[in-house]
Amino acid sequence: MSNQPVVPSGHDSDDAGQGVVNEFDQPVEGVSLTKDAWRRLKKNKMAMFGLVVVVIYALLSITAPILPIHSFRYQVPEHRDLPPSFTKTAGELWYERVEHRMYQLAERDGRTTLTPEQQDELADIRHRIETETAMIDGQEVKIHQWRYILGTDHLGRDMLARIIYGGQISIAIGLIGTITSVLIGIILGAIAGYVGGKTDYMIMRFVDVMYGLPYMLVVIILMAIFGRNIFNLFLALSLVSWLVVARVVRGQIISLKNSEFVEAARSMGASQRRIIFRHLIPNTAGIIIVFATLRIPAFIMQESFLSFLGLGISAPFASWGSLVSDAVERMTGAPWQLFFPAMAMTLFLFAMNFLGDGLRDAFDPHSKNRL
Amino acid sequence: MTQYIVRRFLGLFPTLFIIITISFFIIRVAPGGPFAREKELPPQVLENIEKKYNMDEPLLVQYGMYMYDIIRGDLGPSFRYMDRDVNYYIFNSLPASMLLGLVSLSIALVLGITSGVVSALRQNRLADYLSMSVAVIGISVPLFVIGPVLMYFLSIRLQLLPTSGWIGGRNGLKPLIMPAITLAFPYFAYIARLTRASVIEVLRSDYIRTARAKGLRESVIIFKHVLKGALLPVVSYLGPAFAGIVTGSVVVEQIFRVPGLGRFFVQSAFNRDYTLIMGTVIVFSAILIVMNFLVDIVYALLDPRISYK
Repeated sequence: MSNQPVVPSGHDSDDAGQGVVNEFDQPVEGVSLTKDAWRRLKKNKMAMFGLVVVVIYALLSITAPILPIHSFRYQVPEHRDLPPSFTKTAGELWYERVEHRMYQLAERDGRTTLTPEQQDELADIRHRIETETAMIDGQEVKIHQWRYILGTDHLGRDMLARIIYGGQISIAIGLIGTITSVLIGIILGAIAGYVGGKTDYMIMRFVDVMYGLPYMLVVIILMAIFGRNIFNLFLALSLVSWLVVARVVRGQIISLKNSEFVEAARSMGASQRRIIFRHLIPNTAGIIIVFATLRIPAFIMQESFLSFLGLGISAPFASWGSLVSDAVERMTGAPWQLFFPAMAMTLFLFAMNFLGDGLRDAFDPHSKNRL
Repeated sequence: MTQYIVRRFLGLFPTLFIIITISFFIIRVAPGGPFAREKELPPQVLENIEKKYNMDEPLLVQYGMYMYDIIRGDLGPSFRYMDRDVNYYIFNSLPASMLLGLVSLSIALVLGITSGVVSALRQNRLADYLSMSVAVIGISVPLFVIGPVLMYFLSIRLQLLPTSGWIGGRNGLKPLIMPAITLAFPYFAYIARLTRASVIEVLRSDYIRTARAKGLRESVIIFKHVLKGALLPVVSYLGPAFAGIVTGSVVVEQIFRVPGLGRFFVQSAFNRDYTLIMGTVIVFSAILIVMNFLVDIVYALLDPRISYK
C-alpha cells in the first residue's frame, strides 16, 4: 500500500482538503487506506487499550533476557511451592515454612518447645540463608535472598520468569504460525483467484475437504503420533489454518482482477507475477491484517490447548498453556501457580481480540472517510 | 426437498470413507508401534502377538480386513488393553460424552440466543453491556482456564459441587454442572455475539419496517419476523460449534475426570493403540458429519430463499 495521498475521484491533488465533504458534511482530506484506518483505530478506546497491552507484552518478551528477573529454569529444591510475596525473601518464607511444620509436629506430640535437633536444623537453615550461593550464568548469586513476587512452581522455579518466558514462546508461536499460514493462504488463494478455471477448482475443492475435517482432532493425532517438538507443532497448526485466508484472498482477487488498474497494468505489459504480487495482493492487505490479528490469539489458544493435553511445548521450556496445565493438579495447595499464568494469558488474548475487532472496524471500507 | 435430503445423506458415506482411509494410513506410517515398550518383548512373543492382530500381513491387506470389519460394525480388539474390544470401550464411554455435549450445546444455544436478542433490543444499555462483556470473556478465556478456575472457586473454596466424577453416583446430577458450563461458555459467547449482530441487522431491514408500518404488535414482529431471519447465521454456526464442542470435550473430560470418549483419544494416540484411535476417530467424525448434515437440512427448511433441486 502506498503512502501517497489517495484523492477522492474527480479532484486534483491540489484540491484535496478544500471543499471536499462526505455525506455527513465532514471535510475530507486525501489519506491512504492505512492512515485512514489508523485514525479511526485511534478513536476506539478498547482497541487502543489492546494495542498498548500487546506492545507491553511484546517488549517484555523481547527484553526478557536482560530483565532483572530470575532464571526460568534454575530449580531450587528448598523453594518449592513458595507463595507470592513482595516483602519477604525466599529464605524467610522457606524458614517460616520449616519452623511452622516443626511447631505442628511438636503440638501433635504435646510439646510446646522444639527439640534440640530441630533447633539445630533451624540454625543450620538460618546459616544457609545467609551464606549459600549458587553459580548461575557464571555469577555467584545468593539464592535465598531472592524475592518471588509471583511465587514459585513445584520445582522451585520463579513463576514470574516462567510466565514471561512462557509468553515469549506463546507469542512467538502465535506470530510464526500466523505468518506461515497467511503466506500459504495468500499464495494459494491468489493463484486460485487469478488463474481460475481448473486450478481454481482443484485448490478450492481441497480447501473444502480440509475445512470439513474436525481439524483439532487431526492436529492432536499428528502431535501424538509424530512426537512433540516445535517444528511439528508449527507444521500441524499451519497445515490447517491457511484455509480461511485462501478463501478470503481468492474472493478479493476475483473481484479485483477485472478492475481498471489491473487492466492498465496488463496493457503496459506487466507480467502475471507482477500483477498478482504488486497490484492484487497489496489491495487485500487490509483484510489480511485484520485476519492475522484475530489469528494470533487463536494460534496461542490452540498451542496452549495442545500443551494442556501434554502435546505442546516440553520441559524445561514452558508456554502459558503448559504452565496452566502443570498447575491444575496443585491448585488446592498452590492456587497462585494457576492464577498468574491464567491471568497473563487471558489479558493478552483479551487485548488481541479487542485490537482485532478494532482493526476490523477501522479497515471496514464502508467507514472510509468517516470520523 | 426429499431428493435433496437423500442426496446429501448418501454423500455422507464417501466423506466418512475418506476420513477412515486417511487416518488409517497416517497412523500406520507413523514411527513406533503398539508393542514398542520400554522393555523389549522377546522376538517370538512379538511375532505371535503380531500374528494375532494380523500385523504380519501387508498393509493393504490389513486395510482391507479392517474395512471389512468396520462394515460389519466391529471396530476390532484393542491393541493395548488386550482383553477387551474397542466396541466395548466406545459403547461404555460414548453416553457420557454425548450427554455432556448435548447439554452444553443446549445451554450455549438457549442462553446465547436469549442474551443476543436482549442485547440487540436493548442496544447500548446496561443489559447489552453486561451480556456482551460476559461474551468477550467467553471468547478470550480458554476452556482449560475456565474449567480449573470454576473448580477452584465452586468445588474447593465453596464446596458446592464435586470436583470430578459423573452422574448416577451419590452426587446425583451435580457432577454434570461444571463440565457442561465450562464447555458451553465459549460457544454461548459466539452465539450471543452472532445473534446480536444479526438481530440488529434484521431490525433495520425493509420488511421489518413494513411490519411496523402495518401496526403489528412488537412481540409478533420479534418472534415471528425478526427471529426467523436472524437465526440463520446461528444455524450455520452450529456445525463449527459442534465440532468445537467435540474437540473441547477432550480437554473438559480430562479436567473433570468425566468417563467419556475424550480420555481415550489422546491416550490411545500416545500408545499407538491403532484400533482404539481409529475407533474414536470414526465415532467422532461420524457424529460431526451427521450433525453437519442435520444443520444443512434445518438451514434448507428455514431459508425459503434457497431452492434445492
